[in-house]
Amino acid sequence: MSVKWVTSQFLKKKFYSKVNVPKAKRIYQMKKEFHLIIIISLFALTLSHQTAFAREESDTAAQISPSLSLNYWCNSNDSATLTARIFFNRDKDMICLKNAVISFSATDGNKIVPLGVAVADSTGNAVLTCSTASLPAKEGMITYNADFTGAGKYLPATGSFSAKPAKLEVSFYEQDSVRYIKVTGTVKDAKGNPVPFADQGIKLYVPSLFRPLPIGEITLDKDGAGNMEFPKTLVGDSLGNITVMAEIEENDVYGNVVASNSIPWAISKHAIQAERPSRELWTPVAPIWMIITLIIMLMGVWAHYVYAVVQLVKIKKSSKKDPYAIK
Amino acid sequence: METPYNQSDLLKEFSPHLERTSVLQMIWIVFLLGVIGLGGFALYTQISKGHIVTGMRDNVVWGIYIVNFIFFMGVSYAGALISGSLHLFRAEWRKPIIRIAEFITIIALLIGPCYILLCIGRLDRLPYLVLFGRIQSPITWDVIAISTDIFGCIIFLYLALLRDIAQIRDFKEISLPKWKKKMYSFLALGYTGTPEQQKRLQNATDIMAAMVISIAIIVYSVLAWIFSVTLQPGWHSTIFGPYFVIAAVFSGCGIMIITMWLFRKIYHLEHYITRRHFVNVGVLMLVLAALFGYFTFSDYLTKWYGSEKNDELLIQLLFKKYYWLFIISNYVGVLLPMIVVGIPKFRTINNITFSAIVVVLALWINRYLIVVPTLESPYLPIQDSRPEWLFYNATWVEWSLTAAGVAVFALLMTLASKFIPVVNVSEMGDKPVPEEEIL
Repeated sequence: MSVKWVTSQFLKKKFYSKVNVPKAKRIYQMKKEFHLIIIISLFALTLSHQTAFAREESDTAAQISPSLSLNYWCNSNDSATLTARIFFNRDKDMICLKNAVISFSATDGNKIVPLGVAVADSTGNAVLTCSTASLPAKEGMITYNADFTGAGKYLPATGSFSAKPAKLEVSFYEQDSVRYIKVTGTVKDAKGNPVPFADQGIKLYVPSLFRPLPIGEITLDKDGAGNMEFPKTLVGDSLGNITVMAEIEENDVYGNVVASNSIPWAISKHAIQAERPSRELWTPVAPIWMIITLIIMLMGVWAHYVYAVVQLVKIKKSSKKDPYAIK
Repeated sequence: METPYNQSDLLKEFSPHLERTSVLQMIWIVFLLGVIGLGGFALYTQISKGHIVTGMRDNVVWGIYIVNFIFFMGVSYAGALISGSLHLFRAEWRKPIIRIAEFITIIALLIGPCYILLCIGRLDRLPYLVLFGRIQSPITWDVIAISTDIFGCIIFLYLALLRDIAQIRDFKEISLPKWKKKMYSFLALGYTGTPEQQKRLQNATDIMAAMVISIAIIVYSVLAWIFSVTLQPGWHSTIFGPYFVIAAVFSGCGIMIITMWLFRKIYHLEHYITRRHFVNVGVLMLVLAALFGYFTFSDYLTKWYGSEKNDELLIQLLFKKYYWLFIISNYVGVLLPMIVVGIPKFRTINNITFSAIVVVLALWINRYLIVVPTLESPYLPIQDSRPEWLFYNATWVEWSLTAAGVAVFALLMTLASKFIPVVNVSEMGDKPVPEEEIL
């Protein structure tokens, strides 16, 4: 059914209903009305299409299969920090699942020990710290699992990580007036007894504003110990306290291992009274010339506005004196 | 010397427009409300889903919202400059069209800043601009300047309307609802045209006319400085202030001619708005086209010959990706009004109006070419350079809100013409000023 046919039918119907009006005028009026109806219909159609499209989009929302990654940090106090991150990809963007409940567990392949649950934050991270002392291990290796059981349109997801518990310790000593940082490392053998962590590279850091500042790297000897001279240029807090962190990063067997210790050997940070900043374009206080210019300009403009408004007020007042004025 | 019109006759002629609204006008208003409703839906989508529904990303952080902001502000300043100058110079031919310029000034000025609000991702932080604003920031200058300008234009418009409001209040042959009569009576401030009142009104209007001209120049220069004080290719230019002012008045002339044509047709003002008015505003448009072309050429020529790496990248972008937009904006938009108005044979009302439409489109594109290609060629490349993040394409949300802005402009112009005659009745009734007294 073409638009032309609809037009002709419409015109025919209207034409026979008003036989008394001159023909040309009738056709003109009918055409006018028809165009009006077409415009209104098109507009209504556009609006309804938009609404229908929006509804369709929400109705056909497909189920989403999220990804779950598990990160593991072994701490010096026989504990492990497990960080599970849950997310999914849409249009090349990574979208994190906030408030997803993640269950953590540990297993040796036979026995499963639940470790607890954590809720994902706005970055999709659910963090749990647990003791590694009594976890089931197969030849010293513990497998950690993180499970998301699914919610609504989000399907279940799991992540796992296997690592042998390792332990690092950071200590400090002074010899012949030279200060040293000492790192010792132990791992557990098949029977669960601690043995030296030999030939392992360790990175040393101190905390800084954005990310830890690397201060050196040492390799543990056959006794599982290593040392380096304490840097003399490090700045600590107001008392000279500084925390030194030792880390093994992403080892295939031991995963991430971390330890830290503090010592008041750093340079003390003194609170310096900030001087009043000079008046520049980039400082919090504006240059005097700029303030004066702005004040002069604004005062000049607003004074004229006030003058105009005062004239209006006077016009109003003068009308009250005028006996012929409309009250 | 022209004979002054009889004010009563004029009011009688315009009374029907103030008294009632025709069916066609109602349909027009409903249509505009529909477009505004579509804009409202787009705004709801933007607020509920965030700015991800727009084409703006980390790289191109400004899109057609800013283009619309610059465009409407330009139109407003042009209205202020035209109405202010014509009033101050006592140009006799201004009388039938000055009201249109005044309407354009205030209506465009109210719509323009709304686009800034649409552009801001965290509207809840807007008060910080006042609480923690630094005087050194051009954004602070802009906020101060625009708010000052809004007050000034409202006062100027009110002064310009006062005599006509008083005329309508006193006109007995008009049948208006009671509330409308009360409103006119209240707004007329008891003005009866005594010599003292006339003198005060004339003084205040003259001063405000001078103020709106100077404020329009300052405010649009401040807007230009937001761009030009930034170290961005294509923006960091010393001529941006005057260039923006010229472009603003140029686009405003176009809008002025289009609005004159529309009101002339709708309200049958052929007797008042004649070919002479179109030619006069057209000649102004011609002069501004020449100035605009000169500034554009000067700006791009120095950048091109400077051969700075990023300027060159920008010019390549303009001559390749944006080739046709660049040609329409800077060649067609400049040459067409020159040809149409410059050659007497082509100088008809319809031709001038057509060239004005092209000028308005060209100037909108010009603002787009100032904002978007520059942001698409930044000094520092972004880490993730996906094409949809690096380049800008406006979405249906942005286009809907753009259409809604135009619809609000048209709606307010329509409503304004229902409130007060589109022709300045009082000035039309005044005795014409002899030519030798001008200036």
